[in-house]
Amino acid sequence: MNKNKLFSVLVPLVSVLLAFLIGCVIMAVLKANPATALGALWKGAFGTKRNVGTTLARSTPLIFTSLCACFAYRCGVFNLGGEGQFLMGSIACCYVATQSGITGLPGIVLCLAAGALAGGLWAAVPGLLKIYRGQNEMIISIMLNYVATLFMGVVYTNWLREGSVPQTMSVPNEVKLTRLFGLRCTSAFIIAVVIGLLIYYFLFYTSMGFQLRAVGLNMTASEFNGFSVKKYILFSFLFSGVIAGIGGSAELLGTQFRLINGFGAGYGFDGVAMALIAQLHPLAAILVAIFFAALRVGSTTMQAATGVPTSVSEIIQALVIVFTVAGLALVKLPEFKAFLERLFPARKEA
Amino acid sequence: MEEILRMEHITKKFGEFYANKDINLDVQKGEVHTLLGENGAGKSTLMNILFGLYQPTDGQIYLHGKRVAIDSPATAVKLGIGMVHQHFMLVEAMTVFENIILGDRNTRGIFIDKDARRKEILELSARYGLDVELDKPITDIAVGAQQRVEILKALYRGAELLVLDEPTAALTDMEVEGLFRIMKKLTGEGKSIIFISHKMREVLHISDRITILRAGETVKTLNRGETTGEELANLMIGRELAPSHYEKVSESREPVIALSQVDYHKQSKHNGLNGVTLRVGRGEILGIAGVDGNGQSQLAQLVTGVIAPEGGTVDLKGSKVATFSPNGFISENVSHIPEDRNKMGLVGNMSVMENIVLKETDDPQFSDAKGWHLKKRAIRAYAEKMQQKYDIRCQSVLQEARNLSGGNQQKVILARELENEPDLLVAVHPTRGLDIGATRFVHDTMIAARDKGCGVLLISADFDEILEMSDRIVVMFEGAVMGEYSGINPPIDQISLAMAGK
Repeated sequence: MNKNKLFSVLVPLVSVLLAFLIGCVIMAVLKANPATALGALWKGAFGTKRNVGTTLARSTPLIFTSLCACFAYRCGVFNLGGEGQFLMGSIACCYVATQSGITGLPGIVLCLAAGALAGGLWAAVPGLLKIYRGQNEMIISIMLNYVATLFMGVVYTNWLREGSVPQTMSVPNEVKLTRLFGLRCTSAFIIAVVIGLLIYYFLFYTSMGFQLRAVGLNMTASEFNGFSVKKYILFSFLFSGVIAGIGGSAELLGTQFRLINGFGAGYGFDGVAMALIAQLHPLAAILVAIFFAALRVGSTTMQAATGVPTSVSEIIQALVIVFTVAGLALVKLPEFKAFLERLFPARKEA
Repeated sequence: MEEILRMEHITKKFGEFYANKDINLDVQKGEVHTLLGENGAGKSTLMNILFGLYQPTDGQIYLHGKRVAIDSPATAVKLGIGMVHQHFMLVEAMTVFENIILGDRNTRGIFIDKDARRKEILELSARYGLDVELDKPITDIAVGAQQRVEILKALYRGAELLVLDEPTAALTDMEVEGLFRIMKKLTGEGKSIIFISHKMREVLHISDRITILRAGETVKTLNRGETTGEELANLMIGRELAPSHYEKVSESREPVIALSQVDYHKQSKHNGLNGVTLRVGRGEILGIAGVDGNGQSQLAQLVTGVIAPEGGTVDLKGSKVATFSPNGFISENVSHIPEDRNKMGLVGNMSVMENIVLKETDDPQFSDAKGWHLKKRAIRAYAEKMQQKYDIRCQSVLQEARNLSGGNQQKVILARELENEPDLLVAVHPTRGLDIGATRFVHDTMIAARDKGCGVLLISADFDEILEMSDRIVVMFEGAVMGEYSGINPPIDQISLAMAGK
């Protein structure tokens, strides 16, 4: 097996192990039995059919934002604006859902399309500025996150406000996404997984995806070999925005139903971290998102059952990110490679 | 005279390649000693060894007669060696003064005694005529002034021996004069200078002694009075003409590409083109000779559509090129072996297989449904066939291209660029850094392409390669064509003079 591929799987697994180990030490210091606590964590996330549904529901927006990050990074552009694109998508979706009056499947499709469009347009701003003005896409996309958050504030406090509470009216029942098997998780999860599969196919089984990856890995060589680098950069920005926009719409139609202070907060950057752990592989990104969602959902049960606060789960999540990023950098060091050669001299091939 | 530096039997190997082989060099107190040689002759390697950036594989260095081990640039500085790199190492946002004292440990407590430092620097600058404005940020001063800052920085750190790596490359003629005045002043005060250059006129003007390097070895050390520009040029490029392995073509067929009065960044001597007129016919190799950095890179990028000319016309296969884009040239069946294979030719993190089919994944041979489904099996089979045909030595075609040796990387590019029988091949330094076997393979492949009717534009700083391969030779100097010569019994004396700009 290819050594690089081996490490790309091994590093995240070892990181997870290490993070849990440290988590256990913290639990022990808090005078809880780590085994019981972890058992409760597992039960909370996957113990019952209902809990599995909750976990998958929680993972859905994370899958969207991590796919959004994956797609842009594959083309070598750093779209840190997943959050803003997610919110702009949900705002557009909220407008169509509450104002258009179209219901049923056409309504849902229209709502999702509006969200996709808004997310894509929001992502086009840093993309166009990068291509035509050489602006740094990271800074602009981050800044646009704040603009989107504040804009959403205007929407739920003024334009679509319902009653005395600062929140929008609920989307009509007719456009809410169907729950799967009566669980918390909705068809949004299916949409997310299908998009992940499509991206995987696109990146690895189509000529365009191949060229897009080449642009991401070496822009100069791609230009010399006749690929329109600018076109790919803009496309990857647009499409990653579309993914985030659909994510925001699906979150609105599937779980939250209204825009409110804190809607979607943090999902954008969670997605970036998960994309990095998944090493930009779209299918791995889905698994990583489910893993993080499980840690989040399970931690409540853990707190209730053993008194270990949910923040321990947050510590574990953070450590997984730190260890993976550090580990991936470590295995690239020449010192580490030399160390391996000393360790396994026999395995060295010509 | 007192000897300040002696380098004996310096050898540096990178893998099996000798960058320096048994080089001897000595520098006297108060002299300007020039290292003259083509790109890749080993000048920079030798200086990097002196400055502690590389460790020699073999050989000794003596400073003031004492043997020294220079294991880092910090040690070199401590020993009184100062280096001014070709690309300045300055912090652009900081002022001249801050750049000079950067890294200075001579502090008072945790504070820098700025007034004392300033006085010291002003004294140095007055003594050597190094006129700089201490409080201006680097971004606001001219290139010549930045260079003075670098020299001042080295002197401030106590340099007795200064290495100036191609200091005149970026300077205007006026600034060069100024630099030479400073160099005279420095040597007059007992400092020694190693001057690296390949510009004959300057070398003859400023040097006390000249050591010529070629292909990693010392050719000769000469006193200035005893030599001429012509002799230096001949020594630098090696004048013995080995008979070519290949049969040369003399008849000229219809042109594949023809440039007429092409300009690009005309005012730039070293990175532009000035009224270039040339043509490459079918079934011939046109060699572009010239010292690196005389517009060759721009010429290569222009005839592959990466850059567009600012004046003049380019005719490709008989029709005028209107829009310049790499894609446009590729679809006209123009192939390119770029000068930097890692940066421009290959996607290092992709596999050998993916690099071989890089341009052609839209082709029905490799994908169905207009590129929407890659035929992975067909791609792999094709890549394995190419691996055999072009003798690409790798563990498997799935291995990442960046892990291959230079020769095998170049073969990957050859497989991609030549398999489809291009009409025009633009090859830039196609054998730079390759061993003899790989070089021979690349040459054979290019000749085979020529014999199939491909027009080849070969740009190389390796004069032997130009002589070996070219059916016609064009010499470029400062962006302009200096002359055109036959590749059959080429007049080497004339060509080497043309390369020196005469």
